[in-house]
Amino acid sequence: MMLDRPLTDGAIALLNLDAQIDALELEGRFTHATVEARAGLVELIVLRGLVLGQIADYDRAEEIAEQLVRDAPTDATAWVARARTRAVFHRFNDALADLNRAERLSLDVETANGERAAIFQALGRYDEALALRYDAVVRRESFENVAALVGLHAERSEMDAAERRYAQSLNLHRGVSPFPLALLDFQLGLMWMDEGRPEDARRSFEAAQRRVPAYAPAQGHLAEVEAELGETNSALVRLYSLAASSDDPDYAAQLAHILGEAGWGDESRHWGRLAAARYEELLASRPEAFADHAAEFWLAAGADPDKALRWAKMNLDVRDTPRSRSLLAQAVAKCGTQQPSRKGPAPCSSARWSTS
Amino acid sequence: MSDHISGPRAIADPVIDITDVYAFPCPESARHLILVMNVFPYAGPSATFSDAVIYRLRVRSVSIAPGARAFAVAAEEDVFECTFNGVPPAQEGRCRLPNGEVLAFRVSDERRGSTGGVQLFAGQRSDPFFLDGPMAERTIVTRQLAFKEVGSDRLYGKNVLSIVLRIEWASMLKGGPMFAVVGETLSAGKRPVRLERVGRPEIKNVTLSAKMFDPVNRDLEIRDIYNEEDAFNLSKHYVGAYRARLNANLAFYDGLDGKVDWPLDQHGNHPLTELLLADFLVVDASKPFSETSYFEIEQALLEGRGHATCGGRWLNQDLVDFLLTLYVNAGKGPRIRDGVDAPIAWSSKVFPYMAPPNRPDASAP
Repeated sequence: MMLDRPLTDGAIALLNLDAQIDALELEGRFTHATVEARAGLVELIVLRGLVLGQIADYDRAEEIAEQLVRDAPTDATAWVARARTRAVFHRFNDALADLNRAERLSLDVETANGERAAIFQALGRYDEALALRYDAVVRRESFENVAALVGLHAERSEMDAAERRYAQSLNLHRGVSPFPLALLDFQLGLMWMDEGRPEDARRSFEAAQRRVPAYAPAQGHLAEVEAELGETNSALVRLYSLAASSDDPDYAAQLAHILGEAGWGDESRHWGRLAAARYEELLASRPEAFADHAAEFWLAAGADPDKALRWAKMNLDVRDTPRSRSLLAQAVAKCGTQQPSRKGPAPCSSARWSTS
Repeated sequence: MSDHISGPRAIADPVIDITDVYAFPCPESARHLILVMNVFPYAGPSATFSDAVIYRLRVRSVSIAPGARAFAVAAEEDVFECTFNGVPPAQEGRCRLPNGEVLAFRVSDERRGSTGGVQLFAGQRSDPFFLDGPMAERTIVTRQLAFKEVGSDRLYGKNVLSIVLRIEWASMLKGGPMFAVVGETLSAGKRPVRLERVGRPEIKNVTLSAKMFDPVNRDLEIRDIYNEEDAFNLSKHYVGAYRARLNANLAFYDGLDGKVDWPLDQHGNHPLTELLLADFLVVDASKPFSETSYFEIEQALLEGRGHATCGGRWLNQDLVDFLLTLYVNAGKGPRIRDGVDAPIAWSSKVFPYMAPPNRPDASAP
């Protein structure tokens, strides 16, 4: 489905996102910026992190949000901002606690439930998330409320519903910013990947990338799809620049995997070592946030089923989603254990690039 | 804040957010009228015009409706539509003029950008607006004038993206010499959709945004609906909602000094409501340039006398002090000050008028 009007060029939109962030950062440095302005800054930095795949942005957003709560503990907006950054780092229970606190301080129900629904979805509490999201659409059939249903239906493998809500979202969209639609295309792409439909996934990721060419996760997943379709060179071209520029080890991990599959052992090991070191570093400070991707890495190019199992278990502890269960099952299978269990490590070892 | 951050859509995407519109006779030449539209509040150094937005200024000839305290606006209009492509430092623009000509220009280039009768500048400039925004909000929350002797200006040192047009009005515009001016941003494409519109300053924020006094729609964020409207042809579906909100909020401001300077009529309408609903700047291009003439034409109309100035709106006027005084005591009492009396840099009386952009590290006073 096409939009019948243009959106701001993705490069311009990114420049403008930087312009907003730079101005608000300066505002905070030189004056007493309002709570709303600082909460807005948190949101903008998280968006940039999401688009560019920059963990440093998430760190910065968290730093501002923590300070904001210290400076304005009686302001609900501050707690919502911190809840968002905690959810980004998969500290879902802490995020829910912040939302409860915000609600006690007068946060309106609509905002509170919107934030809660996103966390419930991440936790795999789909029924609760769906009830809140539907309630929001009944209250106000806005782009934001309908678009939120796309990702939820997609995660529940409800493809028809996801596509229907996607089309409805396009009709409701009024602005010219490419970010909301690129994020929406990305969610559909993930759904098609999960459903084993790489051509459809490619179409969605390409749409996301057309809207925002620098959209790193879309490029990364596009590379994954291309590799799956046998277009190894194209996948590698995408991943080289991502792996070199991003502070997220996912791209190096993916690159190592594809290179390994293609028989480029030395180079694969190089990127694998880089990814392993970075995962170790991130897991040391934020285990909940990176457990899932780290497990995936050690299941594939990292080739360390022990570690994969350990982090897959932790990931399932953090959130019980179909993807978490599948990841644990894969790790268990790799280790030769019969039943997925959250207790006790599986007996296997083949660490190649461990840095710990 | 004038029209900065004036609704959820503008907050979500500042590239469509019109902060201010100005219209004034050229200080250097009586033959020219100056129109300015600023967008992108708090523009950081990399702020860039969108290539998917039409930045539009609409101008209609206007006169005083005989026997009525209202303007008679011509049906025909002249439109200046600016569009942009490319990214800095080579962003370029095109402005379609009312005569069908297209003026090509380069962003931030002060030297080029003119054709017969029109000179244009587009680029980053210092935001000329100033006010103590937090105290304006506090006034609403506490229901008391909260301004201090020395206020704090959150726009101090901030930049915006400006479009400045210098127009030979007699040859370029239909009718006159009195004109109504509205700035708009629209999504480009086959069926442009209006995203924002601005005529007078501080209509959406100071005057319309507070919900708590509204007896009809106490939970309605009215500004995005208002933004979608054609300023010259309000939808009959929502005009009642706008009127109720304006009546309630204007009455609130009037009561801040403990007395009534603007008695409501028998239907509960505030005397300013209908004038403000006609949300466009009114400028008389035949009168000499004046620095403090905003709303003088409207006041003359209300008082049943002929106007003495060009009206319109100049860049440097202390608009917030003027508005507060107008709303609170109808200009019959002491000047109500917000404690902020100047921007970081005064605008110039030479094209492109708007002061150059501030350095990113320009700090608050």
